[in-house]
Amino acid sequence: MRKIMIIEDDPAIREELALLLENEGYTPVALTRFTDVPAQAARENPDLILLDIGLPGKDGFSLCAGLRRAVPAPVIFVTSRDAGVDEARALSLGGDDYITKPYSVPVLLARIKAVLRRCSGEPEPSDILDAGALRLSLTKGTVSAGGRAVELTRNELQILACLMAHAGQIVSRADLIDALWDNQIYIDDNTLSVNMTRLRGKLAGIGLADAIKTRRGMGYQL
Amino acid sequence: MTLWEFLSDRLGRIALWLVCAGVAALFLWATGTQPGVLVILSLALLLVFAAAGLSDFLRQRARLQELEDILEGLDQKYLFTECVPPPKNLYERRLFDLTRRAGRAMTGAVSDARASQREYREYVERWVHEIKAPITAARLICRELDGPAHRRLTGELVRIEEHVERALFYARAESPEQDCLLRQIDLGKVAAQAVENHRSLLIQSGIRVEMDGLDHAVYTDEKWAVFILGQLLQNAARYRGEAPVITISAAPLGKQVRLTVSDNGIGIPAHELPRVFDRGFTGSNGRSRGGSTGMGLYLCGKLSRFLDLGLEIASEEGKRTTVTLTFPTKENLTKL
Repeated sequence: MRKIMIIEDDPAIREELALLLENEGYTPVALTRFTDVPAQAARENPDLILLDIGLPGKDGFSLCAGLRRAVPAPVIFVTSRDAGVDEARALSLGGDDYITKPYSVPVLLARIKAVLRRCSGEPEPSDILDAGALRLSLTKGTVSAGGRAVELTRNELQILACLMAHAGQIVSRADLIDALWDNQIYIDDNTLSVNMTRLRGKLAGIGLADAIKTRRGMGYQL
Repeated sequence: MTLWEFLSDRLGRIALWLVCAGVAALFLWATGTQPGVLVILSLALLLVFAAAGLSDFLRQRARLQELEDILEGLDQKYLFTECVPPPKNLYERRLFDLTRRAGRAMTGAVSDARASQREYREYVERWVHEIKAPITAARLICRELDGPAHRRLTGELVRIEEHVERALFYARAESPEQDCLLRQIDLGKVAAQAVENHRSLLIQSGIRVEMDGLDHAVYTDEKWAVFILGQLLQNAARYRGEAPVITISAAPLGKQVRLTVSDNGIGIPAHELPRVFDRGFTGSNGRSRGGSTGMGLYLCGKLSRFLDLGLEIASEEGKRTTVTLTFPTKENLTKL
């Protein structure tokens, strides 16, 4: 389990953030004393540090250098200061990323995941998704089943990818739209319906006519 | 100052002088002075007074011109009296002293106002940073809720953030040079960030966003470009029509880049178009729907002027609104 150190002086954020990270399968360590932070970090030896800039006493900027010397962990600045100069300064001081408050939870988690992956040299996530008989290749943009393959458009690809990632679960239309917007596909409800119909048509073409079930009033299920 | 102005200012004095000269001439003539002598005497006197008057006129005109030039060359006009060489003549010196005292009071008032404006701005910025902590905490807490309540509450939090953001940028727009960081940025990144920032509003409004040809680099401040674009997206969402679509596209225009944000919303009446960038102008759309502050486009206009961005708006009522942002080339940026 990856250990994430939270250096944040606002107790409400600190506790909620710790809870969130715990639910996401990380081990959060929240600092409550802001003296001698590098030594505390060295004791805990975290895999990643979330560092607030506006701290009592020494601010995040001046802490960063000490932290970098104490532990090899990457540092993500999390701050409510959003001037461009602050961001430039944070990154030049050795920060690995910079997130401004108020952040949306999915964005924060995605950034954490990306930094952890980059810094531990983990391979990129596989571009092949499997669910049941379906096999989806994200880079090629094709879905295959039983030896037959069909090409998908970008929208169809992301819809199917989202359903396959939650295979067996019901995915609501709102969640699907959210997932598409995450991938810079800014569609509305009607367009989703159109794309869904086309996707089903293509799946029917490779012999999987009823792969995606509609759960009335709830969403879709693969 | 023309000669005529100078003379008309002294009409009384000249009349008095003519009457005195006439009476003296009459007296001399009655006491037996020869008319020839009288004529010579009058001419000589006239010459002396005319010469004195002309010299006065020229000196005053030169002095006034010098003062005009000093004022013209001053950046802060109210510092005029501090920059003028003190006059030699007593009366003028007293007048000068009075204006200088008045000017100093004015300078004091101006610098007090500046200081309090700066303090207010600093307070607003600090307040904005502080209010973001509870908003962040609320967002995190929100996550524990399920389904529609979570989405709706997140939507309301986003609205709070939008207002907070406008307040911050309003405070910053007063002295924009403090936060400006001009550098090369990618338009696609700006557009994606602006859409991301207003995502919940856009999704809830059932909007489809299309992006086209945004792979251009421009020279500007990223935060402000995102803010301006965000205001345009908010407007498009608020004043949407049936099956709303927002198209964000860019095209090169010579060395410049034009970014166009167009929607198929309810549009703006033609007679209101020239005023949409005015401070606090809400228009008939804003009034009939409520929730309009008249600050969004005002701030866009103000920040665009500072960033040397061309900002134009066109609309057809009931059909569409198109806002065009023209980004300057690197060479034309005056503030880099």
